[in-house]
Amino acid sequence: MTDIAPPDQPAIRCRNVWQVFGIGAAKSLPGAMDHAGGDVKHAAQILRDDGLVPAVQDVSFDVKRGELFVIMGLSGSGKSTILRCISRLIEVTAGQIEIDGEDILTASKARMTQLRRCKLGMVFQHFGLFPHMSVLQNVAFPLKMQGQGRAERLERAQEVINLVGLKGREAAYPRELSGGQRQRVGIARSLAVNPDVWFLDEPFSALDPLIRRQLQDEFIDIQARLRKSIIFITHDIAEALKIADRIAIMRDGQIVQIGTPSQIVLEPADDYVRDFTRDVAKGRHARLSSVLHPVDPDAPPAPDDPGLTVDMTLDEALNACMLLYEPVPVRGRDGQIAGMIDPADLANALQVDP
Amino acid sequence: MSAWIDTGLTAFFDLIKPGARMLSVALAYPMDWTKALLQHTPWPLLVALVTALGWYVGGVRLAVLGFLGLSFVVASGYWVESMNTLSLVAVSVPLALLLGGATGILANEVPRVKSAVQTIMDVMQTVPTFAYLTPLLLLFGFGPVVGLIASAIYAAPPMARNVMLGLERIETDIKEAAIMSGGNRVQQLFLIEIPSAGTQIMVGVNQSLMAALSMVIIAAVIGGFNDIGWEVLLTMRKAQFGAALLAGLVIVAFAIVIDRISAGMARQQQRHSRQGALAIIAAGALAAVLAWLYLPAAGQLKLLVPVADWLDGRLTVFVRANGAALDSIKNTAMFYGLLPLRIGLDGAVLPFTWGFLWAGWMSAALFAASAAIGGVIALQGRVAAGLSMPILAGIIETGIAELPWPFVLIGAGAIGFVAGGRRLALFSVLMLTAVLLSGLWEKALWSLYLSGAAVLTCAIFGGAIGLICALSPLAWRVVQPICDMLQTIPLFVFLIPVLMFFQIGEFSAFLAIILYAIVPMIRYTRHGLVSTPPDLIEAAISSGATTWQTMWEVRAPYAAPTILLGLNQTILYAFAMLVIAALIGTTGLGQSIFLALGQADIGLGITSGAAMAILALVADRLVQGFAAERRRALGL
Repeated sequence: MTDIAPPDQPAIRCRNVWQVFGIGAAKSLPGAMDHAGGDVKHAAQILRDDGLVPAVQDVSFDVKRGELFVIMGLSGSGKSTILRCISRLIEVTAGQIEIDGEDILTASKARMTQLRRCKLGMVFQHFGLFPHMSVLQNVAFPLKMQGQGRAERLERAQEVINLVGLKGREAAYPRELSGGQRQRVGIARSLAVNPDVWFLDEPFSALDPLIRRQLQDEFIDIQARLRKSIIFITHDIAEALKIADRIAIMRDGQIVQIGTPSQIVLEPADDYVRDFTRDVAKGRHARLSSVLHPVDPDAPPAPDDPGLTVDMTLDEALNACMLLYEPVPVRGRDGQIAGMIDPADLANALQVDP
Repeated sequence: MSAWIDTGLTAFFDLIKPGARMLSVALAYPMDWTKALLQHTPWPLLVALVTALGWYVGGVRLAVLGFLGLSFVVASGYWVESMNTLSLVAVSVPLALLLGGATGILANEVPRVKSAVQTIMDVMQTVPTFAYLTPLLLLFGFGPVVGLIASAIYAAPPMARNVMLGLERIETDIKEAAIMSGGNRVQQLFLIEIPSAGTQIMVGVNQSLMAALSMVIIAAVIGGFNDIGWEVLLTMRKAQFGAALLAGLVIVAFAIVIDRISAGMARQQQRHSRQGALAIIAAGALAAVLAWLYLPAAGQLKLLVPVADWLDGRLTVFVRANGAALDSIKNTAMFYGLLPLRIGLDGAVLPFTWGFLWAGWMSAALFAASAAIGGVIALQGRVAAGLSMPILAGIIETGIAELPWPFVLIGAGAIGFVAGGRRLALFSVLMLTAVLLSGLWEKALWSLYLSGAAVLTCAIFGGAIGLICALSPLAWRVVQPICDMLQTIPLFVFLIPVLMFFQIGEFSAFLAIILYAIVPMIRYTRHGLVSTPPDLIEAAISSGATTWQTMWEVRAPYAAPTILLGLNQTILYAFAMLVIAALIGTTGLGQSIFLALGQADIGLGITSGAAMAILALVADRLVQGFAAERRRALGL
């Protein structure tokens, strides 16, 4: 199925997904939508008044192939619920979800088992390690489910254990490991079957800050090598900005904004998102490409060229043209001038919101 | 009513009897095999096997325990009887585990089954153990197989309960990880969920073992099998208390060894070396070979019989010397405590014992005083407590066994309403009406009186001991092992010491019930008081409260729901023991259950068992209702 898929097809495609908890939710939803005239907020309120819990409301997004898509939100925002909808750990109330073009909501139980055995991997917040199995057995378990032979699966398990840096601890049991080590096992287990789509549900939230940063860095390394299509759930904006290709910010069951880290930081869609990014040092996350002016063909050539490129962060750019006052050119990856920037604008963009 | 039930059920039982008898014959085979196997295994080898298991599971401590326990059994001369008992347990426990495990898994998989299973298990817990025996006797005939089946049925619910609990408590992450690994439901269940719940399931195995042992011993009353429970009963009937105590201690030794080793298996920890275990077994095998040549068979060893005889002699001397003192303890308790509770002050207060006759004006004074006190309490805002004062006075005046039935029904309804609203009130009244209609009302009141008196005593003394243990860790260190032991001993054994000193009769039964039922009261009281959050205590202390003020103002209210749960357990324990205590002379429902057993009168057996269960169930629900209400009030 994957081999004939068109190249621009998204890895994951969600359209108007609703997850409403409560008895008779599937029946109440269409009525509520009709009554609200299609207004999502109003419909959600109607459902709440009926004693139902609309945990995910009309959520739509695409995850591109090889993209690291982060869903960020506070607890209760529905971010973990949407992930469980996509992995079909819970049944969706309404909407469409496709993985590599395949509608998974209508997929049979057997087909879902098949998909999970070959294509999907998941990492859990509290690790979800099987307490009665050693590290090696834990990692080899999904392969065992695939029906691989013992020697074969232990060899592959060893490979991923080495990848996450746990070599030498294969015989240990989960209770003998530290939190960081446990999550490495969780990551290794989810990668054992070499899945195309990788779900990570707050994988680093239960770890202390130092270990968290270390694992984030290793995770970025692993992703640079493997290029999986990833949905990564977090409640930590700094973590989201650090690792994401794109971020979706959720609030009360709805997506408030989807954008690259730069867009989230520099152009917050509303006060809620602005609040989140207030304490973030923008210069470290936003790139020059997001604040570029087009080249004015009539203007005289710029007097200075400090060698700025579109991939530089604002901090790096400001360091390079700290003492300049005239607009300077910014070059793209191909070396051509992609646009201009005024150092004064650069300083303004970096200003922390009041 | 019991006659109708008899006719109906006999017809039904006749229908399924052939199948049951076949099962009975089929089950006799594995039992005989196990019996033969255990009988023919040389005893040094068996001692070594148990010691080795103890070592493997819990190191030196459990190895020593296993060794001493089994050595005691060998020395007692009851080896053959013990092995017969053990073979019953060995066959019934796997059955119970299978039955309970399957039920637990089924309840976990099908939510609709779950609540039904839970209700059935709640009821089963309150049905007295002997009540199981009568219908089974009819189905399976007399003989050890009935004991086997009864103990398998009796031991299944703890297993089912723990399997359900264990599966329920698995972290969601682990369950989801199993799904995401691509396991189908069967793989998820058997490869991940059941092993993950292993610790809890082993707790179930432990409880199941203990229940089976207890039931096997109890089933000895129907006889037909040369086992250790029968030995206790026989010697007790012959008033050979030394021998009875010895046989009883053999049971205790078994119970403790089985309990501690299986509890050790439930704990997750490093196992001890296999080599050590193998070495112990090898030593046992060597000893077995030597024993073949030099030592007598286990049955002939009677090292402790002289001790038992000596004890018997000493006991006779002691009872003869202190007869007056023992009698006066008994009589005081009877005349000033039990009798007034049973037949009321108006019947119990006689010139012969109290020195005066209860007169009409005394009743009037009692009611006036209670009404006055009740009025004051009610005016302070605690209406329910105020109303209960005159009711209490009424009970003391008439006696529990002579309460008129409308009074009981209305009283139960009122208490039910206060504890849990309309539904509970209706439940209590309907249930008690069923007892009233069964024709066993008087006997039920008798049972209520005896267990009520025992529960009251347990609540006062157990509460006090729990309080002391909460205040002083030293006291708890003394009391805890005693509590542990009392809870491990099969019910039957409690009868021996009380019989030794107080002969057959109501007072002995009363004491035996207290001995058994006081444990939960102590445990829960202490636990409730000790587990008050430290910041609450610190807040009280920093507000200037003394130790006692902290106890009464903060810790006791916080512990109230827990203590009520302890009281609830005490009530259930008391009812359970009540039937056993009927062996040594009480009237009431326990006696009816025994009569039914003796005459294989299935109608009487079932009605009296049901009546007993109803009393326990109503008491259970009422106290639970109060506990739930307290918890809500505290926001727990």
